[in-house]
Amino acid sequence: MSKPLELPISRPAEVRQLLPRPPGVRLAVYLILVAGALVSVLPFAYMVTSSLKSYGSVITNNLWPWWPFGNEPLQWQNYIEAIQHTGWDRQWGTWLMIRYFANSLIVSGIIVAGVLVTSVLAAYALAQLELPGREFIFLFILATLMVPGELVLVPKVVMMFNFGWYNTYLALTVPFTVSVFGIFLLRQHFLQVPRELFDAARIDGAGHLQYLLWVLLPLSRPALVVIAVLNFIWAWDAFQWPLLVTRDPSMRVLAVGLQQFMVGEGGVNSHLLMAFATMMVAPIIVLYFVAQRAFTEGFLSTGIKR
Amino acid sequence: MLRGKLRRFATVLVGLAAILGACMPQAGPTPPSPGQITNPPTTPEMVDAIDLTGKNIEVVYWHNRPQRDQELLQSMLDEFNRTNPYGIRARAEIAGASYNDVYNKINAAIQAGQPPDIAVAYQNQAAFYRAQGAVIDLTPFIQSKKYGLSEADLKDYFPVFLESDANPQFKGERLGFPTQRSVEVMYYNADWLRQLGYTEPPRDWKTWEEVACRASDPASKKYGWAFRHDASNFATMVFTRGGRILSPDGSAYVFNSQAGADALAMIQRMFKNRCAVEIPTSERFGEQNRFGNGEVLFVFASSSGLPFYREAVEKGARFAWDIALPPYTEKPAINLYGASVSVFKTTPERELAAWLVIKFLGERPQTVKWAVSTGYLPVRQSAKDEVIAAFQRNPQWGPVARSYARIFDWLQYAMVESPVAGYDPVRTIIDQEVMSRVINDPNVDVKKLLDDAVAKANEILRENAPKSGR
Repeated sequence: MSKPLELPISRPAEVRQLLPRPPGVRLAVYLILVAGALVSVLPFAYMVTSSLKSYGSVITNNLWPWWPFGNEPLQWQNYIEAIQHTGWDRQWGTWLMIRYFANSLIVSGIIVAGVLVTSVLAAYALAQLELPGREFIFLFILATLMVPGELVLVPKVVMMFNFGWYNTYLALTVPFTVSVFGIFLLRQHFLQVPRELFDAARIDGAGHLQYLLWVLLPLSRPALVVIAVLNFIWAWDAFQWPLLVTRDPSMRVLAVGLQQFMVGEGGVNSHLLMAFATMMVAPIIVLYFVAQRAFTEGFLSTGIKR
Repeated sequence: MLRGKLRRFATVLVGLAAILGACMPQAGPTPPSPGQITNPPTTPEMVDAIDLTGKNIEVVYWHNRPQRDQELLQSMLDEFNRTNPYGIRARAEIAGASYNDVYNKINAAIQAGQPPDIAVAYQNQAAFYRAQGAVIDLTPFIQSKKYGLSEADLKDYFPVFLESDANPQFKGERLGFPTQRSVEVMYYNADWLRQLGYTEPPRDWKTWEEVACRASDPASKKYGWAFRHDASNFATMVFTRGGRILSPDGSAYVFNSQAGADALAMIQRMFKNRCAVEIPTSERFGEQNRFGNGEVLFVFASSSGLPFYREAVEKGARFAWDIALPPYTEKPAINLYGASVSVFKTTPERELAAWLVIKFLGERPQTVKWAVSTGYLPVRQSAKDEVIAAFQRNPQWGPVARSYARIFDWLQYAMVESPVAGYDPVRTIIDQEVMSRVINDPNVDVKKLLDDAVAKANEILRENAPKSGR
């Protein structure tokens, strides 16, 4: 197969051409979009700029203490201080920040891999196999989305203690290697793939696994990217769970490290907090830019329809 | 004849036995055998009878301090591990960044049957654990002749710190032991106050309100008071008017008293007259920043914030400032902050090992180190001078060491908000259903607000009351 199969997706440009366009609509749309973008970017901009200010400039709400409105130099040392503030990991002989970073990478990587494997297999079964009660099973899986996370938090922690997983990577990863959202998204995607492809693969002698690996997954790259990116972000940002199921600083992740800057009845070193937060968010931003194209395609091609 | 001699001889013998018996030292109650020690031990004698020799117990201590303090704490525990004669090994672990994090984690660990040996806990949180039978009364350990505290030691602790852990909901059981404390004080801009014609901070609420309103100029975003509304701020205002949050026996919430109504009416009036600015919960330490920028005259906040206020003023508007007792009507009062440490029910041996760790942390050298590093108050009176001297030498603390020293004189007025189980949801009620309402509605009936809140709070108190048999 030299040319990849094109899946039917909606064509918003064609649809737009059919509708009358009142004057100024484009301008209004752009204004709204720009306003939305600004609202989204402002907290990020505040975080990055605060990370480069002195403590004094942060607490006095000095928006731009640098040239040409002020004479403060960029406070790059905030980043070094923030790293030092996390403490020292005797086991690795490095700053704990490095350990947090490594743990976040390990945990997020395992979770993404686990979610992809379980979502692909479950979605395939729910979309392609003639299972008895298939719809009921699917609805049952979806229904678990309605259970608030807080409700099952304590029982889940109790399970981790009872399994002997407390303070291990197993507790940090295993409970999150299944994603209902991932199963749902992939199932909808698989349902859009023409059944004829499956029949053709069967005629060529392919089994379910071969069809899945060699035909279906290559067609599903955008959807897989969406699931991978979203789960990576969720895993990267997770705070409460890693805090509850770990004991040693060497087992903790970046979000838990970040929280240490908020401790205290007396006050908080906002500039260091922002420097740490910027370092924590940077990989997510890079990841998003790298996967942006596939991410957008994934949302467009994964029509929520049957 | 012979019978008569025998009778006399027997009488003399009995008499001698009685005299000798009276001269012999009185035998005390038989010490309990290991099989008679209950879990947890309920008498000092039971604690005395526990033998830790060769047990090599490991003690885990959950707290919520940052890594820097964790390292200090562990270094102190390392010293304990080296020096204790029982081979106890204590390990500190950061269980969260806030008291709530630790609370959630402990509740899960209790359900899993794997609580830590020691954990930091507010008195009301300790009461909640006690209601589940998860923490123990430390009284027998404190009173133990072999392992407890001497009379001199007990007198050395600030009495109010020790008293704050005796829980009225559980017949005065000591569900925690203090390792640190702070108080809520009033920070004020002395330069601004002088410009208004006052040489010292107001001592009564009426004058305080007048000064705050005179200082306020909403057009230039200057206010007399930055109100970070939470239950603790409210409690200070009630205490200083002679009121209480909870009755002394812990049987009912009573903040709908005249003191509560007066406090609330003042808050309502000040917002109506634009003499105060609200600091939303989302603006963490916003009152500190505004104070540092010279935008507010008064702030009520924890004494542990002293170095942060110093830095905020130094990097901000640079003015003379200080701390004072909150204003009061008849008698000064000050809100005592700070969690204690509780011991969880495990085995009598581990409970004793945990107590010995706590006892060690409360000793003078340790409480000095902890206070100097964290800005909290030391728990022993004998540590006071050493901590103040250390702050005077410290460039970060130096300028505020004098203010810090004055706090010790105010401890005699300290009061505790509410040590009963279920106080956390009550705090939320006070904050959201009383404080927020009164700030935003200048016409709301403050007495009705308080009555409704107290009714709900008492319902929560009943739900969390100790069940018989615990």
